[in-house]
Amino acid sequence: MTVTTDKAASPPTDSPRALARARRRQAALRFWRQYRTHRAGLVGLAVLAVIALLALTAPLLVGADSQSVTNAPGGPMEAPSGEFPLGTDQFGRSLLALMLWGTRVSLTVGLLAAFLSVAIGTLIGITAGHFKGWYATVIMRVTDWFLVMPTLVLAIALATVLSRSIWTTILAIGVTTWPTTARLVRAQTLSVESRPYIERSRALGGGHGHIMSRHVLPNVMPLVLAQTTLVISTAILTEATLAFLGLSDPTIVSWGGLLQDAREAGAVSSGNWWYLAPPGLAIAVVALAFTLCGRAIESVLNPKLGVSR
Amino acid sequence: MVTRVSPHTLRPGSRLRTLLASGATALALTAGAVVPGNPLAPAPSEARADDGRTTLTVAVAQSVDSLSPFLAQRLLSTSIHRLMYDYLTNYDAKDNKAIPGLATAWEPSADKLTWTYTIRPDSQWSDGQQATAEDAAWTFNKMMTDEGAATSNGSFVSNFEKVTATGKDKLVIQLKEPQATMAALDVPIVPRHVWEKVEDFSKFNNDKDFPVVGNGPFILTDYKVDSFVKLKANKDFWRGSPKFDELVFRYYKDQDAAVAALRKGEVSFVAGSPSLTPAQSASLENAPDIKVNDAPGRRFFALAVNPGARTKDGKKFGDGHPALLDQKVRHALFMAVDRKTIIDKVFQGHAVEGEGYIPPRFSDYFWKPSDGQKLAYDPAKASALLDEAGYRKNSAGKRVGKDGRPLDFRILCHATDPNDKAIGKYLQEWWGEQGIGLKVDCLDNVSDPWYAGEYDLAFDGWSVNPDPDFVLSIHTCAALPSKAKESAATDNFICDKQYDELYKKQLAEYDPAKRADLVRQLESRLYDTGYMNVMAYPNAVEAYRTDHIESITTMPAAAGNIYGQDGYWSWWSAVPAAGASSSSSSDSGGSSTGVLIGVGIAVVVLAGGGLLFAMRRRSTAEDRE
Amino acid sequence: MSSESTPALVKGAAGVESTASGGPAPAGPPTRSPRSRSTAAYLRYAAGKLAGAAVSLFAVLVTSFFLFRLIPGDPVKQMTGGRQVSTEQIAAMRREFGLDLPLWQQFTQYCGKALTGDFGTSYQFRAPVIDKIGEALPATLLLTGTAFVIYTLLGIWLGARSAWRNGSAGDRTNTAFALTLYSVPSFWLGLLLIITLSVGIGPIPGLFPTGGMESGSTTGFDRVLDIAHHMVLPVITLVAVEYARTLLVMRSSLLDEMGSDYLTTARAKGLRDDLVRRKHAVPNAMLPTVTLLFVNLGTTVAGAILVETVFSWPGLGGLFYQALSVPDLPLVQALFFVFASAVILMNTLADVIYPLLDPRVGR
Repeated sequence: MTVTTDKAASPPTDSPRALARARRRQAALRFWRQYRTHRAGLVGLAVLAVIALLALTAPLLVGADSQSVTNAPGGPMEAPSGEFPLGTDQFGRSLLALMLWGTRVSLTVGLLAAFLSVAIGTLIGITAGHFKGWYATVIMRVTDWFLVMPTLVLAIALATVLSRSIWTTILAIGVTTWPTTARLVRAQTLSVESRPYIERSRALGGGHGHIMSRHVLPNVMPLVLAQTTLVISTAILTEATLAFLGLSDPTIVSWGGLLQDAREAGAVSSGNWWYLAPPGLAIAVVALAFTLCGRAIESVLNPKLGVSR
Repeated sequence: MVTRVSPHTLRPGSRLRTLLASGATALALTAGAVVPGNPLAPAPSEARADDGRTTLTVAVAQSVDSLSPFLAQRLLSTSIHRLMYDYLTNYDAKDNKAIPGLATAWEPSADKLTWTYTIRPDSQWSDGQQATAEDAAWTFNKMMTDEGAATSNGSFVSNFEKVTATGKDKLVIQLKEPQATMAALDVPIVPRHVWEKVEDFSKFNNDKDFPVVGNGPFILTDYKVDSFVKLKANKDFWRGSPKFDELVFRYYKDQDAAVAALRKGEVSFVAGSPSLTPAQSASLENAPDIKVNDAPGRRFFALAVNPGARTKDGKKFGDGHPALLDQKVRHALFMAVDRKTIIDKVFQGHAVEGEGYIPPRFSDYFWKPSDGQKLAYDPAKASALLDEAGYRKNSAGKRVGKDGRPLDFRILCHATDPNDKAIGKYLQEWWGEQGIGLKVDCLDNVSDPWYAGEYDLAFDGWSVNPDPDFVLSIHTCAALPSKAKESAATDNFICDKQYDELYKKQLAEYDPAKRADLVRQLESRLYDTGYMNVMAYPNAVEAYRTDHIESITTMPAAAGNIYGQDGYWSWWSAVPAAGASSSSSSDSGGSSTGVLIGVGIAVVVLAGGGLLFAMRRRSTAEDRE
Repeated sequence: MSSESTPALVKGAAGVESTASGGPAPAGPPTRSPRSRSTAAYLRYAAGKLAGAAVSLFAVLVTSFFLFRLIPGDPVKQMTGGRQVSTEQIAAMRREFGLDLPLWQQFTQYCGKALTGDFGTSYQFRAPVIDKIGEALPATLLLTGTAFVIYTLLGIWLGARSAWRNGSAGDRTNTAFALTLYSVPSFWLGLLLIITLSVGIGPIPGLFPTGGMESGSTTGFDRVLDIAHHMVLPVITLVAVEYARTLLVMRSSLLDEMGSDYLTTARAKGLRDDLVRRKHAVPNAMLPTVTLLFVNLGTTVAGAILVETVFSWPGLGGLFYQALSVPDLPLVQALFFVFASAVILMNTLADVIYPLLDPRVGR
């Protein structure tokens, strides 16, 4: 938005922009009040806050050299003990420290991939809803077609085609998961654009860009937010899957990568459940937390869905 | 597997238990639980039946590429061919020396260009016909004339001028040039009367008509893609019948699943692919009734340095780092590699520190650098050497050449090999201390950048045959590609005059002791170039169940491996453990699709029926009132 | 599989216009379903759907060809595997596999042959691709089909229970449990099941085989049992991570249905709750669920890749992964086409059948 910062700080005036801002602030407050009533959503939010904090403070908590193999403090694949609460990996590094470092990678990939996916989906959804005619027809055909593509198969194919890096993973997830968002956003755009004030704005000379960015976008934002949280949980699971299949950068420690390391080292046949269990649990917890938040947001936006509180 | 441990036998009790276990899980599922709370009795681990047939099951983590000896390239497939078909010669399990196979004797002519083999009279194909020199001649001629038949073993006949059978028992091979490896022709000889009917050798996979006619110690009886390969003992094998009645290679997608199957007793033997991990062998060593066979390996694991890729006529291509053309840099890099730590930490003792090119297991050809020659681990000396070569550290601690280009290398690593990835991490840290950057490029398919010469360093390793000719030939100038980026025999684009001269001499030397001496000189030269730095000789770590297998021959007999031998010794010699007899109804019959559909229906009916039953009962109870 | 299925939580049934904000699949395609009562209109509608499917299938064919050309790797080099091969031999191999032709010609050839079911010869197995797929398909169908039936029944049953007791502790536990399993990576669950129930840990004995589809030593009815025994753990894994989807859709469509007047009427007539649910509400709420079922069936085939990998199941998923690493282009292309067309065909089937099932849409 083009609002300048000093204006944003000033008290509401009669200018239409300030009015709009005040209205939005109120909407946000109302949203939060309703969100608060969803217990599962709050639990999800709290879990996410804790995990985000752990990810941010990882370097302080465990030190930067905990990923070093030459200075590894323990023996190979030690069982959990006082010194290593989750045991050690095959190099003798503390698994707890690696888990904490992995949080950063898994969250980063999840967030960036979801952001990419939702950005593509929103752009396509809004334009397809706004411009009707052949453009919309073609773009929605493409969307439909992406929608039926088996997501994982396509992501595996992309990850194989490109070189192994964290960006490949993000790209593979981003470009395979956007069609759902596009469809939802398009439907919302169509309903927003049928409102009378859009007609008025158009009559007053508002161009395509103006209508899409100033009227449609703010109205689809809540939906996009809900969508983002849900896509993040998909993205985190897909990241783990690709890493597990050996399709991500093996020099980077992520939760999925830890699972892959565990299997390669022989943790399954040796019964070393402590190596295998924590990364999978962490993935499940974060994915679940994002799903819970997403469902809570959804049900605030559309109470008819009857999500349990 | 020795079927006595099979969980699926004809005993009614076990059938019931299997059914119960499946049913219980379906119930547990319905209740929303993931894990049945009260585990039922374990699957029976012993079952004995009347006919006393014994089965040896081998878990493998590789799938069969083709069962045609003309197409097969993977270790599993070629190992199976060793069992199905007799080769002209074999290798002694004790010391790898060539011994009679289908041929009882072989000798060169005075001009070294004609070899005559005497074919044994007592080898029979499994359909009753005698195996003769005709079969051998036909096999070789087919490979020389039909491109499709030359796919897997064409290199063995490339130096052949003419192959003829001068009688039932005399095979004559005429060569273009002298060749010392004529007692090491690892080519399966196939029955002419069966294979003559094959139309297109490049498409025929030999997996439709069972049993497959052969003359080796085992006869192939059944094969299901990515499930199993089944063979039965050839009771008429001329060296004597194998002790197990049946041999099954069962496929697992990854090694850990195969190890788990061994622990459980589903299989009798697990082959490392290529070796069990330290964690796996440590946990198996503590398991009852399991023996871990930790044998000196036949592989070397090396750090290959790109010497500047080029074609036969000297055209350069690829993008190897120019600093690596300096021998001092190559030596410094290797001196900064702590090989002892690699052995201790990565292999956890299941490997031997690298010296020369050929592993110590082949004692005739093993060579060690002298003290003055050896590039021992010495980071300080490595630093000095780099300084001397003109690569000094800049203010940021990075080594930079005179042209301002920093020493940032890439190393090619196999994404499927955990050792590559692990050692990559160590190299990053060791070389990082020297001010050298390293990017570990792990790929599923390394051969592309490799052939294109687009790498600086690479993890490299070959399995060495009793006759070392092949692993030596891949570093000669003749092996270079004729066109840029074409595939070629060369391993690492090495082309060294001195090396080539020694190579030619050893190939033409028919006296074993003199030849071995020449080979050792070759290794010394290769070591000095610093292009192939052997870090370790990984052990072959494999394991088997002592309650299934009483004894089994390793190769070499003293401390050798079991899977992937140059011969059929292990499976041919394996003795079933006492009491390890069992039923095992022979060949599978019936239409497999029919069975699959049957299974599907059975399970669905079971689960669905249970669910419906539960719902119906509840509702009728409520309606009744 | 979970990573595959998560988007479907919000995706709704693919091919169905989603109007609700990310809710589970809405009831049918309101904008597209034939409102006309005439058979002719329905036929027109069905023909349109089929034509759309044909276009999608062709698009998949095109993608399968071009996407995998991007994989670095010269197939001929892969086939020769580093052996010394003469330039003539390489040229011959290129000719044999049609790699010497210009790309567009390779493409037209590929499309033409694909139409007749000929996807070429696998590089690594030297056998017709269609044969390799034929060998692996029954195993995949068996595994996914069984899991599909179980998780569908389970999902519908639990979903209906949950909706009927909306907001109760039972509903909450039920939904939370399903969502938790749904967030679990399927391969991880599979590995844990292998550790606990197959290898055995502590006092738990190893009950089930560690992998594979059969032990290869049994015949007849024992073989059936043997295969069923091998199937238990992979099926549990698939069911655990998949049933949440069906549950949530069933739950929300039943909730929609419960607001309807006729239910109130039925209850007012004095019918027992349970009877009302079974005789009236559930059958109506089943309709949107049916749409989802078809979609599930399509995606589960591709979704089994991970479970097949973990349990060494000799199906299409394992074949795909193996083919990708070579890369065995003909095989990869064909498998990609199979996976995608399974989804397309199932979606089309759902679209075509839906109006026939829904009495309110009526014909």
